[in-house]
Amino acid sequence: MPDIRLPAEAKYKTELEALAAHDDKPRPPGWALSPRAVEMYILGSPKPVGGVSITPKYVGDKGLIQVCIATLASDRALMLVGEPGTAKSWLSEHLSAAVSGTSALIVQGTAGTSEDHLKYSWNYALLLAQGPSPEALVPSPVLRAMKTGKFARFEEVTRTSPEIQDALISILSEKQVSIPELGDVVSAQRGFNLIATANTRDRGVNEMSAALKRRFNFVTVPVVEDLEQEIQIVTKREAELRNDYQVGVPPPEELSRLLLTLFQELRKGVTKDGKTKVRTPGAVLSTAEAISVLFNSSILAEQFGGGKVTPHELAASLVGAVVKEQEDDVKALREYMETVAKSRTGAWKELYTASKKLLRG
Amino acid sequence: MDLALLSRVHLFPVRHHSPRTTAVLGRWLERVRPEVILVEGPCDATGLVDVLCDEATKPPVAILGYRTDGTPRSALWPFAEYSPEYAALRWAKANKARAEFIDIPVGVSLEVDREDSEEPGAEPGVETESAATSVTHEPEEPISERFAKERGYRSFEELWEAMFEAPDWTPEGFRPVLLAWADVLNAGPRNDYHRWRDAFMARKVLEVVASGVPPEKVAVVAGAAHVAAFIAGDVDAALEAKLPKGVPCAVTVIPYSFPRLAEQLGYGAGNRAPQFYQKAHEAKCDFRRATLEVLIDFAGHLRTRGFTASLSDVLEAYRLALTLADMREKSAPGLDELREATVATLCRGDATHVDGFLWKSVIGHQVGRVASRIGQNSLQAEFWREVDARRLPRSDSPETFSLRLNNDVEVGSSVFLHRLRVAGIPYAALQGAGQQRGAPPAEAGGYAALTRVRESWQAQWTPSTDVALVEKIVLGDTLEAVTTRILQERLTEAKSTADAADVLLESVITGCSQTVAAALRACDAHAATDSDLPSLASAARALSGLVAYGTSRAHADVGDEAVAVLCEKTFGRALLRVREASACAPDAVGPVLEALRTLHEVALAQPRADKAGWLAEARGLMESHAVHPSTSGLATGLLYLAQELAESDVALEVGRRLSLAVEPEAGAAYLEGFLQVNALVLVKSREVVKALDDFLTSVEAERFRQTLPVLRRALGALGPTERRYLMENVVALRQLGTKGQAVKVVLEEKDKEKLKDMSAELGKALDDLDDLL
Repeated sequence: MPDIRLPAEAKYKTELEALAAHDDKPRPPGWALSPRAVEMYILGSPKPVGGVSITPKYVGDKGLIQVCIATLASDRALMLVGEPGTAKSWLSEHLSAAVSGTSALIVQGTAGTSEDHLKYSWNYALLLAQGPSPEALVPSPVLRAMKTGKFARFEEVTRTSPEIQDALISILSEKQVSIPELGDVVSAQRGFNLIATANTRDRGVNEMSAALKRRFNFVTVPVVEDLEQEIQIVTKREAELRNDYQVGVPPPEELSRLLLTLFQELRKGVTKDGKTKVRTPGAVLSTAEAISVLFNSSILAEQFGGGKVTPHELAASLVGAVVKEQEDDVKALREYMETVAKSRTGAWKELYTASKKLLRG
Repeated sequence: MDLALLSRVHLFPVRHHSPRTTAVLGRWLERVRPEVILVEGPCDATGLVDVLCDEATKPPVAILGYRTDGTPRSALWPFAEYSPEYAALRWAKANKARAEFIDIPVGVSLEVDREDSEEPGAEPGVETESAATSVTHEPEEPISERFAKERGYRSFEELWEAMFEAPDWTPEGFRPVLLAWADVLNAGPRNDYHRWRDAFMARKVLEVVASGVPPEKVAVVAGAAHVAAFIAGDVDAALEAKLPKGVPCAVTVIPYSFPRLAEQLGYGAGNRAPQFYQKAHEAKCDFRRATLEVLIDFAGHLRTRGFTASLSDVLEAYRLALTLADMREKSAPGLDELREATVATLCRGDATHVDGFLWKSVIGHQVGRVASRIGQNSLQAEFWREVDARRLPRSDSPETFSLRLNNDVEVGSSVFLHRLRVAGIPYAALQGAGQQRGAPPAEAGGYAALTRVRESWQAQWTPSTDVALVEKIVLGDTLEAVTTRILQERLTEAKSTADAADVLLESVITGCSQTVAAALRACDAHAATDSDLPSLASAARALSGLVAYGTSRAHADVGDEAVAVLCEKTFGRALLRVREASACAPDAVGPVLEALRTLHEVALAQPRADKAGWLAEARGLMESHAVHPSTSGLATGLLYLAQELAESDVALEVGRRLSLAVEPEAGAAYLEGFLQVNALVLVKSREVVKALDDFLTSVEAERFRQTLPVLRRALGALGPTERRYLMENVVALRQLGTKGQAVKVVLEEKDKEKLKDMSAELGKALDDLDDLL
């Protein structure tokens, strides 16, 4: 059975190899590609490189990507911040894959993340049998990254406890981990760096200390505001998902436009023409959420519908996405349907009728 | 015209306000060592070169050309220290070479500009340099911006920095690239105006050569587009004839400032960040050093505002800026890298501080200085003398300060600032009296100014201050003379007593003793014939204010007694008009009501006014049915408030006015006037409220609908406190209180849940209503 999801370095192996083969610019020590080639890998290239077309992985401001790469190239840790679903982890995965050839050295930050996840732990059977030895040591992804001179990834820094954040400071400033049990110190090889992500929505959970912030360069990944751009991102990613999982039918362009218009209007609290105010639901309406709604409706259409995505399937997936925890969000969506969707033509009308049944009660 | 000869002189193309061009030009001049340097700039300003190059002149400064035929119109040619034209002039002075301007005279460009520019005050000499900006009027993107985007830059400014400013060019390398660039711009159809100027400048250059200077000893420093046209031989001498004759004008030099320079964008016109370029210029075009200096500045600003910004943050920002520039294949970081690096490091990913306050420091707020031996007219001299002596703000950023008007010095400052205000010289704006926060912005002059004990001002010098000072010289040599002249003009135009009284007040506030007497006479003359009650009332109030607060500010010799007599007379005349004015049409009643209130105020406050006469008039209004009902209502309210009428009488009067026999519209209008007085006092009186209540309950449904708009207007003016009193009285009157409590008990027992739902629904409905409103 194939893996459900391939890491970026496996999925885009041919692109990365082609870029590496045709990369004549100087590479920073430990980097698989030059900064320019990394930029091309992330943003895509209009011309094929060595016969391989480079697809864009991130659609948006070129300057932002350049700041990310320049930060990493100057041996400084990178912190990606932004609203949930703005492709922070996606970006971090692709940057690691392009620079280090692996995106797998990852620590997921949670309330339960302990120092073991950051440094090392032990294989207790071996430890009891042999005492402390290098064989009994289980290195963390960060330690492995340091040893091999690759990028480590740290997701959701603000979810971890202050102790863990403090431990991160010493790793970032000293670039070494001491293992007193073995009387050993592991120093980071050239090429080691760290990409962290943090949500601006949970700033309150465990706000980073000033000392930790000083160790990073910050890049804010913005919410996409341009309709055409967001449609492009969503349709592209949705098609990839369908391809990966081999399910679903392609949704018509009209419906993706409709969905993204609805998302952007609800997010902003006002319709595109600026004439009608709408209530903003509490649920996060991210680009990632839009992708999942569209993908979901395409599966619904294939498995339970008529083999064609209609506003009916869209409405069914939409309600589940917008109305997550709060009852108020039902009201917000109902209100939107009544005041905005109802008065529009075409697919909007069908969406309105379909959602009416679902939103009742 | 011998164009071949033209190509034998040394031509140097420049972009205005470019440090790199200045640096390269300096090296080129050292090599060429010309005897005559011809610079793009209005040729009739050549006499000012000495002033511009004076040791005491500190850029940014600007040549100001203004019309002298009475039409207010002027244009500016600004120079920063890093402007190549300015550097050429300085070089000429240091090396004993002759320097001249060769562009069309100011008068001509002022006339041309009037024809084809849509915004007044546009700067022709610096603004429309080439086809690049001549197409900006169309919605289509300018060539320069398109060119930049095609090459992967975000804006033309970024391209310019990366390709022209940052690399360390030699004169040999720089001239061709700048000319190639000009060719790109000239590729489109060129504006006629620029072609005329090409022809004019070419003739000027050839004249110098014809006068016997060998062409090898002549250097021309002009905009790249012009030089490209000279080299291409694309100059049509016949076009010069098309230039207009020109208007009468004069030129001078005034100080300029960095914020203004940053406002002039577009090719050749200005800079995004003058302070940054100034730093680069001082560092001999080392943009890395300029970037580092600015980053250190930024960290300082952040620290003074309580944010953490350490030296290591600055280092990281600098490193990031360099790496970014490297990645983008630029030889040094520019403003874009500076900004991105600041956001990512010093500001932790948050751009708000950069936009909020940091960016101002790359723009700078430097103001230039002009050598004192020439350039300043008497008004400018007076302005700067007063500003320095009184320690008023002299920078190009808004500053607030307040004046306490209890000593001569600060009264003097106030007079000075009010004179500037009346003369229309933009410098300071009154912020209000200070103590009333949130109150609507008070009128700067007039009666309000008279009663103030404290004034709070916001002042900011801008080049337009000096422009206005230069332009106003036609009206007088001193600020007092200018103000007097303007006030006299307003006095001759005054049509009513109120207008004349306004001028009188302004004269006192601005300390113009000459106009005080004239304005008093004008008031007297107008009052005799004026039949307009609002005008008379406002004049009476102004005069009463003068009697109360004195005319000492003006040091006028008319004496306060004359004002008091006039005040009495005007008040008397106003009283005569009360009855007649009050019988007016419904749509004209607003100003009349205002006038009646003013008269009431004056009558009570001013001992010289005929209080008894006013009370009699008011009583007459109250009783009359021939006048507009709202004036009767107002009179009733005023009399009650002045305790000239007992509570029971008021209730009786109100009851009568609102009785069934009276038209409901009239009743409602009466009510509107009545409630315009201090409504709180009125609604506190239970008897008055009873009369109101009886009236409202007795109106028939059909009639009620007709009177509703007026009623709404009358009652809508009540504030929350007044409404509460009104409701309390109504509840007490109808004995609803006890019933209400009984109902409440029952409800609480039974329907708590239902009530909660209802209130939630109600809350939502109210929210929606708020949204809609």
